Amino acid sequence: MTEEEPRLSARETIERLAPALSTGMRVRAVTALLAGLSGAVFVVALWSSEPGPLPGRTHLAFTLLTVFCLAWAGYGGWLLRNRVPLFAAEQVIAAWIALAASTSVTTLMTIVAVQRGTGPGLVLATGALFVAAASVLAVRAHARRAALLRRVRDLTGRKEEA
Amino acid sequence: MISWFVNLIGLPPDCAGEREGEMTDELLVVRAQLGERAALAELVTRWRVPVWTYVRRMLDAERADDVTQEIWLAVVRGLPRLREPGRFAPWLFTIARRSVNDRLRGEYARAREDLTADDVLTEDPVEAMVDRAELVNALSGLPVPEREILVLFYLEDLSVEDCARICQVPVGTVKSRLNRARRMLREHLQERGHRS
Repeated sequence: MTEEEPRLSARETIERLAPALSTGMRVRAVTALLAGLSGAVFVVALWSSEPGPLPGRTHLAFTLLTVFCLAWAGYGGWLLRNRVPLFAAEQVIAAWIALAASTSVTTLMTIVAVQRGTGPGLVLATGALFVAAASVLAVRAHARRAALLRRVRDLTGRKEEA
Repeated sequence: MISWFVNLIGLPPDCAGEREGEMTDELLVVRAQLGERAALAELVTRWRVPVWTYVRRMLDAERADDVTQEIWLAVVRGLPRLREPGRFAPWLFTIARRSVNDRLRGEYARAREDLTADDVLTEDPVEAMVDRAELVNALSGLPVPEREILVLFYLEDLSVEDCARICQVPVGTVKSRLNRARRMLREHLQERGHRS
C-alpha cells in the first residue's frame, strides 16, 4: 500500500484560505457596516427634521433610502460575523474607524440640525449613543489585544526559562 | 500507550507528541489571534496532516481533501473567537468532527448504539505486529462512532476527556467505544489470520 498523503500541499491549503484572510474583504465589510449605519442615521435625521408635512412619495423615498442603508449595514455585519471575523489588531483599527465615523456623522448632523433650526437635542443624543458604543468597542478591542500580548510574553518567557 | 498504534499507522513522530524547540500551539494560536498571518500559516502547516488523517480515516479519499479545506476555512473564521488558545487541538477536532458528521449524517443514523457507560478502559488487546495496510483497512470497516474515537484517541493523541468533549458524549461512553473498537479491530484482524 502506498503512503497516502493530502493532495494539497501546506502552501496550497493556505493559498485557498486567502479569501477568508483578505484585508481587502475586511475593509469592505467594515466600510459597508459603518457607511450603512451612518447613512441610515443621516437619512433618518434629515427625514425627521424636514419642515412641514411631507408628501407620500417623499416618505416612501426616505423609507427606501433608510432600508437601503440598513441593508448595507446588515451585510457588513454579516460578513464580519460569519465570513471575515477580525483578528485582535484589526478589531482595534475597526473600533477607531467606528469612533471617527460616529463623531464625524454626529458633528455633521448637528450642524445640519442647527442650520435647519430644528434643535440639535435629538441628533446629539443619537450621536452620543453611537460614539459611546464605538468607544466601548475600542476599549474592549484594546483590552483584548493587550491580554493576548501579555499571554505571548508569558508564553515566550516561560519557554526561555525552560 | 499510543506508540504501538502510531508506529503501525506510520505517522511522523511529531504528530504524536510534544515537539521540542518549536513554538507551542498556544503561542501560535495567540499570535494568530493577534493577526499574525505567519503564525496562522505555521498552525495550518503543523496540523494539516493530522487533520487530513482524521478526515481520511472517516471519509473516502475523494471527499477527504474537500472536507479538510472546509475545516480550515471554519478554523480561520472561528479563530478570533477562540477563548481558550491552550485547548486548540480539541477545538480543531470538534470542528473537524462537525464537518465530517455533515457528510456522514446518514451513516451515523444507521449506527447501532448499545453502550454501557461504566465500561472500564482495558489494556490494549491488539498489541501485535500487523501490516499497516491491514490495519487501515480494518479501521475503515469499523462503524463511524468506533472509528472516530479510535482515530482521535490513538492517531491524534487526544485524551479521553478531550475525545468526550469533541464527540459530545460522556467519558464513560468514550471508554466503552474504545473497548468495543479495539475488540472489533482484533476480531477483524483475527479473521484475516493475524494473532492478537
